Amino acid sequence: MPAFDKVLSGLGLLVVAAPVLLLAVFFGAFLCNRRLQEHTIGRLIQGTITISLLAAVTAGVLMLWHRIAQHPIELGDWVITPHYHLKFEFVLDLLSLSYAGLTLVLCATIGAFSTRYLHRERGYQRFFVLFGVFLLGMLTASLSDTVETLFAGWELVGLSSVLLIAFFHERPSPPRNGLRVWVVYRLCDVALLLAAILMHEINGAGDFDHLVGKNAWPAHDPLLIGPHFTLLGVLFIIAAAGKSALVPFSGWLPRAMEGPTPSSAVFYGALSVHLGVFLLLRVSPVLDSSIWLSVFLVLLGLATSAYAYLVGRVQTDIKSALAFASLTQVGFIIAEIGLGFRYLALVHLLGHACLRTLQFLRAPSLLHDHHQLENAIGARPREEGVMWEGRLAPGLQRWLYRFALERGYLDSLLDKCVARPFVASFRALDALETRWARLLDGERPPAAQPKPAPRPPS
Amino acid sequence: MNLSAWPWLELTLLLPLMGAAVAALIKTPNTAARSSLAFLIGTLACATGAGLTFTEGTVRSWHGFAVDEVAAPMLPAFALLHFLTLLGTAKSRVSPMVCVRLLLAAFVNLGAVTAQDGWGIVTLLALGVLLPLWDLLSRGAPARGFLLHMLLFVPLLIVGWRMAENGQELGYGLLLLALLLRGGIAPLHGWLPTLFQGAKYGAAMVFVLPLLEVLAALRLLLPATPVWMLDAASMACLVTAVYGGGMAVVQDETRKFYAHLCVSQTSLVLFAVMLHTSNGLTAALCLWMSSMLALAGLAFSIRALEARFGALALHEHHGYYEQVPGLAVCFLITGLASVGFPGTIGFVPMELLISGSVEQGLWVSGTLAVAAMLNGIAIMRAYFALFTGKRPTTSVSLQVTPVERVGIVIITVVVFLGGWFSPGVVSSRHGTADKLLDRSSSQGTVHPGR
Repeated sequence: MPAFDKVLSGLGLLVVAAPVLLLAVFFGAFLCNRRLQEHTIGRLIQGTITISLLAAVTAGVLMLWHRIAQHPIELGDWVITPHYHLKFEFVLDLLSLSYAGLTLVLCATIGAFSTRYLHRERGYQRFFVLFGVFLLGMLTASLSDTVETLFAGWELVGLSSVLLIAFFHERPSPPRNGLRVWVVYRLCDVALLLAAILMHEINGAGDFDHLVGKNAWPAHDPLLIGPHFTLLGVLFIIAAAGKSALVPFSGWLPRAMEGPTPSSAVFYGALSVHLGVFLLLRVSPVLDSSIWLSVFLVLLGLATSAYAYLVGRVQTDIKSALAFASLTQVGFIIAEIGLGFRYLALVHLLGHACLRTLQFLRAPSLLHDHHQLENAIGARPREEGVMWEGRLAPGLQRWLYRFALERGYLDSLLDKCVARPFVASFRALDALETRWARLLDGERPPAAQPKPAPRPPS
Repeated sequence: MNLSAWPWLELTLLLPLMGAAVAALIKTPNTAARSSLAFLIGTLACATGAGLTFTEGTVRSWHGFAVDEVAAPMLPAFALLHFLTLLGTAKSRVSPMVCVRLLLAAFVNLGAVTAQDGWGIVTLLALGVLLPLWDLLSRGAPARGFLLHMLLFVPLLIVGWRMAENGQELGYGLLLLALLLRGGIAPLHGWLPTLFQGAKYGAAMVFVLPLLEVLAALRLLLPATPVWMLDAASMACLVTAVYGGGMAVVQDETRKFYAHLCVSQTSLVLFAVMLHTSNGLTAALCLWMSSMLALAGLAFSIRALEARFGALALHEHHGYYEQVPGLAVCFLITGLASVGFPGTIGFVPMELLISGSVEQGLWVSGTLAVAAMLNGIAIMRAYFALFTGKRPTTSVSLQVTPVERVGIVIITVVVFLGGWFSPGVVSSRHGTADKLLDRSSSQGTVHPGR
């Protein structure tokens, strides 16, 4: 059925082409130095998501109707040399369409919410440009069938995410936190890049189907055994850990809450934080290649859940509390993947993302909701439940409290062990270079500052 | 009208020289700038014509200069670099002598890329040194460090090539050392931050960004340099790429940040050349062009900012986004393009480089990825420092001028369209890389294991 295949391919391409066109409009406006009206931007966003969503739903229904489990969409070889092969390819299957559908539904909700929430905000257009970049990145990553396509989408999501964290850029802390998130993202992108290269080494191509066979997700043909696959699995886990804020990279998650609420909802409550999970689901056959990888994944997931639960208990602002609650569930989903429950993990992911988006969007009106609840029941709602921590020894309680308050010391650990030595050593080299340059130029080094006299003990 | 019969090459080389002569006779800075801009537009058009006629199969040569497969795509890119450099020079900082130096640099760079004779390349490389030195001295900036490095570079280049011509292995070693020095490979990179701090941005840009050392390595070194020398040089380049990236991350001055970014990017291109494999050379040829254009765009934004606000420190947040959003976008796009962000001109070359290096071991690819990561972090840090923070209040408009907007539009379009046209560029560069390798193997060099 070549005609039917073409229809499916066309629909799949339309899903991604719509946000590309949206960004082309924004880019054209930038080149012509034109500022778009708020209602124009709103309509553009609405139209783009509607087209993409209709295309995705139609493709899904057609595939269900004709009992097609997967449909690859080949865009041709982007770059082909005898030694190198770069291919952009999409795939329509249960996993990709589910995640793309989730992305579109949540982006439609957030888009509609944001047009009102950010009304007359100074950076209105900037927000929606970044939102468009995020949408394109998510859809590209969701539908990707080669590791390069996934990497392209992955990077777009990372960039838009960081720039949205720094959205309120007149304050010093959003850019500072944005930079910190960027550092973690870049660090983990190195792992994904190396995984891509290793895939090329193993299969001669970056196609997922070369790796896991032609069967539709989550089944796979070959038994992937060997040290190469274990290394590949480790690299994928590191990449996913960075994107999904798993331990030990969890420190960036509360920092990411600096951005506007809609972006926090869509990024850290729903979609971006699950992108690492999506990656692990996509390459899950690789994770089966070694029992140790699965065990490691389960432990990583559970450790992240425990950490996020503890830290979330002491948060004093609603967005951070929700972010850690979200992370708790992400940890469980990761553990489910490690245990081999792929469908359960997918369903868990979809449900959790929807619930968390709703919670994030209601977060600014929490007090109002609470008042309405009190008015409805005529009294204050009773707090129920058992605080199990109360049964612990007082010393342990205090330690746990402090551990949670300091967010597991993860940030300070990374600061102390990685960031500070790095900056100190390069600053020392810089000082050395400056002295060398001065020496060559025949300049006198600046006079040494006299050391201040020691202060008398008070 | 047969366009391929036009003397494109001759005009490409002569127009900058004529422009320099005209600019030297003009006393008014603005008139000199306008006339130079006209000559550079003409040069750009002729360079494009020369490149296009070569792709149509017409090979032209003129007094030892010729358009070949290496020069054809680089000619328009070089001409664009010089055009953008003048376009980005603020009116208050332009003078007839600045225009003269820029046009002479255009002649030197365009001449070097088209020169077919080894001595021609060596002469132009040595002459090129005089222009930034002239700029440094005319500004009264410290020039001794630069001069000392170049006093080492020029004799090494000349003696090295003389000995290499006679087939002496030591000659290739000296030549290699000269090119590593010119490329700013650590620890021979001390002149680069000094140059960017002391000279005018434009003069430093047109000396550093054309990466003539890459050209010299392709034309002079590759044909017969022993493999062990190339391997040793590639390791030095690899270390420098990481070192430059790390240094760019911790800089507190914009010019030093930019200088170290150039060090890192140049090392990546030179590393790709030194791999001396089909993939490596293809990556080098692609990365050469993409790095040059992306870094030129980045410099364009920085210069426009400096023209408005003076020297820029990176340890505080300046908040210039609201006043010059166009420059912010240009800075970010070109900066990310230089580190190989998807969708930009740098993506495919960077992928090619990292994949092409895997033959040396996964750790080499990992190190390259780390270098790219550090550069990416440095760029984002600089972006946040320059464009975020509390808005400064000014009594005059600091909006982007129409001339700057033309530059921004050209740069962003080139950086994005370059990304979309990557496949065609890569396949043509791959053909060129294979030809270069064939030439080197026909000259009797044995490269075991490659």
